[in-house]
Amino acid sequence: MLKNSSKKPQLQRFKISYMAMFLALVLLALSALPNLYPAKSWLHLSTTQSQQHSQQLLANTPSQKSVIDFLNQHGFLVEQSIQVAQNSLSLNVLLQEPTKSAAAQQALKSEFTQLNAKIVTHQTSPDWLQSLGLAPIKLGLDLNGGVLFVLDVDLVKAQQEQLDSAYEQTKTIIRDEKARGVRVQKNAHGFELHALPAAKSDLAVVQANVLKRFERLMATAHSQGNLTTVAFSFSEQGSNAFDKEVMSQTLTTLRGRIEELGITEAVTQRQGKQRIRIELPGVQDPSEAKRIIGATASLDFYQLKEIGGKTFNLQNGGSINLDPIAIFSGQHINNAHAGRDEWGKPLVQLSLDSQGGEAMSAFSKRNIGKPMATVYSEYYKNTKGEVVKKSEVINVANIAQHLSSQFSITNMQSPQAAQDLALLLRAGSLTAPVTIVQEQTIGPSLGADNIHNGLAALMLGMGITLAFMALWYRRLGLVANIALLLNLTALVGLMSLLPGVVLTLPGIAGLVLTIGMAVDTNVIIFERIKEERRKGRAPYQAIEQGYQQAFATIFDANITTMITAIILYGIGYGPIKGFAITLALGLITSVFTGVYVSKALSQTLYLKLANKRGARA
Amino acid sequence: MSNSNEKMSTTTRLRLSGLVLSILLVLLSVIGVATKGLNFGLDFTGGYLTEFTTAVPISEAELAKKISYYHHDDFTLSAQSSQHFQLREAEQASTSPWLATLTQDETLGAEVLSSSYLGSQVGDELFEQGCLALFAAMVAVMIYLALRFEWRLALGSVVALMHDVVVVVGLFAWLQLDFNLTVLASLLAIIGYSLNDSIIVGDRVRELLRLDSTTQQASVNTVINESIKSTLTRTLITSGTTLATVASVWLLAGAPLQGFSIALFVGIVVGTLSSICIAATLPQLLGLRHENYQVKVDEQSQALMDMP
Repeated sequence: MLKNSSKKPQLQRFKISYMAMFLALVLLALSALPNLYPAKSWLHLSTTQSQQHSQQLLANTPSQKSVIDFLNQHGFLVEQSIQVAQNSLSLNVLLQEPTKSAAAQQALKSEFTQLNAKIVTHQTSPDWLQSLGLAPIKLGLDLNGGVLFVLDVDLVKAQQEQLDSAYEQTKTIIRDEKARGVRVQKNAHGFELHALPAAKSDLAVVQANVLKRFERLMATAHSQGNLTTVAFSFSEQGSNAFDKEVMSQTLTTLRGRIEELGITEAVTQRQGKQRIRIELPGVQDPSEAKRIIGATASLDFYQLKEIGGKTFNLQNGGSINLDPIAIFSGQHINNAHAGRDEWGKPLVQLSLDSQGGEAMSAFSKRNIGKPMATVYSEYYKNTKGEVVKKSEVINVANIAQHLSSQFSITNMQSPQAAQDLALLLRAGSLTAPVTIVQEQTIGPSLGADNIHNGLAALMLGMGITLAFMALWYRRLGLVANIALLLNLTALVGLMSLLPGVVLTLPGIAGLVLTIGMAVDTNVIIFERIKEERRKGRAPYQAIEQGYQQAFATIFDANITTMITAIILYGIGYGPIKGFAITLALGLITSVFTGVYVSKALSQTLYLKLANKRGARA
Repeated sequence: MSNSNEKMSTTTRLRLSGLVLSILLVLLSVIGVATKGLNFGLDFTGGYLTEFTTAVPISEAELAKKISYYHHDDFTLSAQSSQHFQLREAEQASTSPWLATLTQDETLGAEVLSSSYLGSQVGDELFEQGCLALFAAMVAVMIYLALRFEWRLALGSVVALMHDVVVVVGLFAWLQLDFNLTVLASLLAIIGYSLNDSIIVGDRVRELLRLDSTTQQASVNTVINESIKSTLTRTLITSGTTLATVASVWLLAGAPLQGFSIALFVGIVVGTLSSICIAATLPQLLGLRHENYQVKVDEQSQALMDMP
């Protein structure tokens, strides 16, 4: 480790390595410390902030007292509340039973509609620990309680949509370029252009145009007789890039939606090629989250078309023909709020981003007095279980004036629908349909039970092991036990320190297992030492030899478990991953404490004894 | 030490009878899996699982009858205690209002602890992945062992670990215990653990063979017996402490880890048996000799020994 250390005298050399070891242990112990202070969930209450409405809102904002009284009356006893801001309501509340926070949040939401309630976890560890950036181990859903969703993103459908859109746009390109000899037709993998020899130059122009607009597509040409056919489909590269883009866009959208729901500590991550795993700790009722997360509603704005175009269904029966290319779509919407029009009907107020605003402005200027259609699309599962897109024209309105980036959509079916649509528009819409393939709700009491049971098992297992080692090996057993306790501290410290490590119930089992198996390292060494002693070596030499001889065996034995732990980590999800992490980290810390730390300990112990007793051995 | 050249020593006899026992156990397990099959958990089959408690104790049959009034699809109700139940339904189960009805029934006071839904497609994938993990772990470990040991010792360890996995799976088939993802994880842990034992015995065999090879005094049989004896204390202590911790998980950590700890417990017991009776005995039957370990002090293991 230290190159120049070999020149230094023996004593000084191991002092340096002792120092390093000591330092590492202190650091790990320090990072394990915050786990003694369990985090508490507070309710953060504030009035919904929106600039246009702030004036009227201020009038019917509930008072601080009324909120707390409401909580106390409904069985959510408030332990502590802190007012954050003076003029508007902004309150932090700690309940006596923090596991009820989610239920309280739900109750508050339905009672005070203007109130924004969030559950936020607060550290309770001393400030100096927090300022070092140290936090307790993150707990998995099975310990914390909460909701898990695994969504399947239908990438095939998304590609299909993209090809359909390319097909529609190709039709427009052909019309714009006046390429009369070119025909477009759908095929199994996308669509194809047909042209007779006379229209060959037109074909080339159209082909170049399509490829320019859709970089992900590739064109393959072949001719049959005098008919030239150019087929468009996703290139392998393009298909991969498209899938990747869809996945990351879906992730962003879902994160946005979860944030809109007021869930702060959600974990949203990709799982495998086309799955997304969402963990919502603290959430008790999955129905709202489910409705919002799985929703695929999107809005597009179209121009009406008398001749040709694509046929859409009207919401209240009948059908209408629209230009296949949208003026602009939902992704250009910056902000959306649900509200009511002057007749009390629900509406959604929109404001567009600059690009959408320009498109809208340019379009409305040219088309004053002409109608514009708002199309609401949603994916749903039909009776056969296939995912189908349903598009409906919810609104056809004449453009009364030159519209800018702010306007509203009327004719929403219900206030709930308006609210949901506003939320979805704020968070962005999904380009690919998603279906929930896994859903799990773990109640807070079950989570607390799991922690309690897991810790009890840990204590018992640890107690038995410590007692046995102390009785069997006496003085060396003391060394082993200190090493074992240090091992647990180091493991907990390491788990708190590393980002992305989550403690789950199987993880606790892994922790218990690690304790049982960590003894192994010491047992192997101690048996060796005994053997060396039988051969007639002095204690100090026997220890030195024992540690050295046993190392190869210990290394061998641990590496195979490490291999299985790594494989388990690579393949498992959720709780299983937690088990694999604890197992793998436990191996590292148990070799560290079992070999290095306990060697230092036993040497010191024997060195002192040898010094005291003189050269008795 | 007894004269093992002429007559079989007690250790050898125990070893061989242990081997016969292991073969019987494997046969029994295979029969169990073939005839009864595994009772796959929700993780692998997909479907719905609802866990709930009731305020008043109620018998399983009584509750099942109660639920079947408003639940017309198939369901399996299992009691964890007289107030703690699990209800499992197939994925196609219609969303019948049994749960709402049950929680509104004030005489029962049912409260939902957790509910899960898993698509059968995901279940199939998890199963595939699990099998892949088991397979990958075995292959990776075999490669490591082949590099590290002479092939006879390596084969002995691999057969030992397969034995452990098969016996645990067999037990789950015979007792029809829920075979879920955590049980699969424990199978992987068993692989690691079983090897741990086998390697330590194998390591000692290798070491003694090397030390011995110049003089050729002892037979391979004696060397193996000697290795087992000198590692027995360690094997028993480690197995003992690990069993104690696993038993405490079994007893205290509650239902979610029941299958996991049963699998580990049995795995450790049979793992200890197989490390002595298979991992150490098989190489001898395959004709392990002193020459296999002459001078061939492989460099990488020497390097590993010098590492600290």
